[in-house]
Amino acid sequence: MLEFFVDPILRAPTIGSMLMGLASGLIGCLAFLQKRSLVGEALSHAAYPGVVLGLVIAAAFFPGGISAAILVGAFLSGLLGLFVIHQMEKRLKIASDAALCFVLSVFFGVGVCIASGLQISHALWLQKIQVFLLGEAATMMDGHIFLYGGLTLACVLSVISLFRFLEILHFDPEYAKAVNLPSKAVHTILYILLMVAIVVGMRSVGVVLMSSMLIAPPSAARQWTTKFSSFLILSGALGLLSGFLGNALSVWSLAPLPTGPMIALVATAICLFSLFFAPERGFLPKLIRVTHFQLRCKQENILKALYKKRTINPNPYLLWRMRTKGWIKGEKLTPEGYSQAEKLVRLHRLWEVYLVHMGQESDRVHHSAEEMEHILTPEIEIQLQALLDNPTQDPHQQPIPGVSR
Amino acid sequence: MNPFHNADFFSFFALFFSRLFSWKSLAPDEIQFYVLSLIAIASSLIGTLLVLKRMTMLANSLSHTVLLGIVGAYLLLSNTGSLGPLTFQVLIVAALITGIITTLLTQLLHKVVKLQEDASIGIVFTSLFALGIVLVTLYTRNAHIGLEIIMGNADALHFNDLKVSLGVAVANACVLILFFKEWKLICFDQGLASSLNFRPSLFNNLLMLLTSATAISAFRAVGVILFLALLVGPPLTARLLTSNLRKLLVLSCAIGITSALLAIATARHILTVYSLPLSTAGLVVTYIGAFFLLALCVRNLTFRKISA
Repeated sequence: MLEFFVDPILRAPTIGSMLMGLASGLIGCLAFLQKRSLVGEALSHAAYPGVVLGLVIAAAFFPGGISAAILVGAFLSGLLGLFVIHQMEKRLKIASDAALCFVLSVFFGVGVCIASGLQISHALWLQKIQVFLLGEAATMMDGHIFLYGGLTLACVLSVISLFRFLEILHFDPEYAKAVNLPSKAVHTILYILLMVAIVVGMRSVGVVLMSSMLIAPPSAARQWTTKFSSFLILSGALGLLSGFLGNALSVWSLAPLPTGPMIALVATAICLFSLFFAPERGFLPKLIRVTHFQLRCKQENILKALYKKRTINPNPYLLWRMRTKGWIKGEKLTPEGYSQAEKLVRLHRLWEVYLVHMGQESDRVHHSAEEMEHILTPEIEIQLQALLDNPTQDPHQQPIPGVSR
Repeated sequence: MNPFHNADFFSFFALFFSRLFSWKSLAPDEIQFYVLSLIAIASSLIGTLLVLKRMTMLANSLSHTVLLGIVGAYLLLSNTGSLGPLTFQVLIVAALITGIITTLLTQLLHKVVKLQEDASIGIVFTSLFALGIVLVTLYTRNAHIGLEIIMGNADALHFNDLKVSLGVAVANACVLILFFKEWKLICFDQGLASSLNFRPSLFNNLLMLLTSATAISAFRAVGVILFLALLVGPPLTARLLTSNLRKLLVLSCAIGITSALLAIATARHILTVYSLPLSTAGLVVTYIGAFFLLALCVRNLTFRKISA
């Protein structure tokens, strides 16, 4: 574990991947909330020709600053891509999805075309460029870490300083308009930050899979929290974790697996786990809650049928559960089951009285009451009784059981 | 011996057209041209529908996930440890795997797990693509195969690819022509389509399947990402110039074919004159981008004339 941070060969790739995860997890949240996550996909591909041109220009004129020039080139060509998308959407009225796909693929094609020109004369340069396609964290040196660390810090600081703006902009756009927030400027900054995050991530995940790092951590974080600040922090942390684990897996694996896909797979695994198992919003807990509620409703219906001395449909499992709760003995109601059934009938009839009180026809209230009897809480029951002045009969002239006169 | 060896831009065309009806065996450049044009036709036809139906992001997913479909098909159908030639059997199985997995998973995340749509699409295709890359790297024990899949390699095309791309292009054209009225209805009037008790889901699924098949036939030549340019570029360019569906289809096919021909000629010219081997697929896409700009200029000029 510790060797990943100490070993002179391993530490730069590890820290670089983690910085990438932090930056993209944090900035990905903002695009996620705008429902524009796929812009990241287009922009990361649009950065590729910039990588190629940056390298060629730097190698020709100032060979010392190649890695910085690549980042600047990628940043600029991503911004150009963003501009083209914007123009296509606004000026030419092209649907957003088509504009994104067009920019993504055409920019990438131009990049591939220029890069292919280097394949014989400058094979070494081409190798350096191809690292950025699927990511090769192992090519990171200590010098890169300072560069990426600075950029990630810039992302974090901008999000912190813009926090209030972002909160209002995302959750109350009407208010933002009313108080004249510079929402256009904040949006522009948001996309610039997106580009910075992509630039930070290119070397470890690669432009092709960069979007997964912008999408998966926010989708995962959203499952665990409803607060904006904790959403941002959690998403950044999950990105950080995916960066570390993905890089570690590609180091541990015997086959020469590219780092980018491994990091993306780890991030997706975290995301899927959260989607299915998060306690509040996760799919399985929700499913369990719904099934539980349905079972309770069915048991309560049997209870009511027994109370009204109707024939029941004996489902052995439901009867067994009711026995363990002490509601019935054999197929007869226990005193506890009797009072439980009385409560259900009382709630049913109270709700009918309430609906008639609210102006509904008395012959149309039964279905609503059939559902509400399972849901009404004791507090609502007390309020209803007070509001309706302790009624003793429902609209169909049936007595309401258990109401004190 | 390739007769196009040492040809420059203009002698390429002279030679190309003089050989066109001479029934000699196909030279590599000609195979490239026919394969790329057939791919361009196939993808322009369905690309037009995808653009009109605003489903191009799904096509983007499919073009990434075909990798997993292809690996799956080879694992199911062949027992040798390498990716052999692409047969129709492999193509169909891979297209089915791709289409079904991608659509089902995206729908599962969006509709059942209730993740927002853009994120569902993004997670499914990036993770399936990552899985595909990992599997194909392990399967072929070749660390560089991922790059070829991303960028394509038009120089490695041979006669078998011509058969496959011809099959896919014919299939796309048949489906489009047979159901032309229905496609028109679905693209332009969803409301009428549903009030006529017309099931658009059947046609959506058909479109997904055709898109995956086209992506698979294209991926050896142009790779998974550049395929998207062939799919979206020509229809968007044609859309700037016409609003008639028939003209749109014909024009986008023409743009695709012209880009392919110009790209091959340019690649040959640059190789001969400057000895730089450029990626043909990259050039095709660059030409498609250039045609878009050209169409934009033409449109702006005609607009000014009308308003003046």
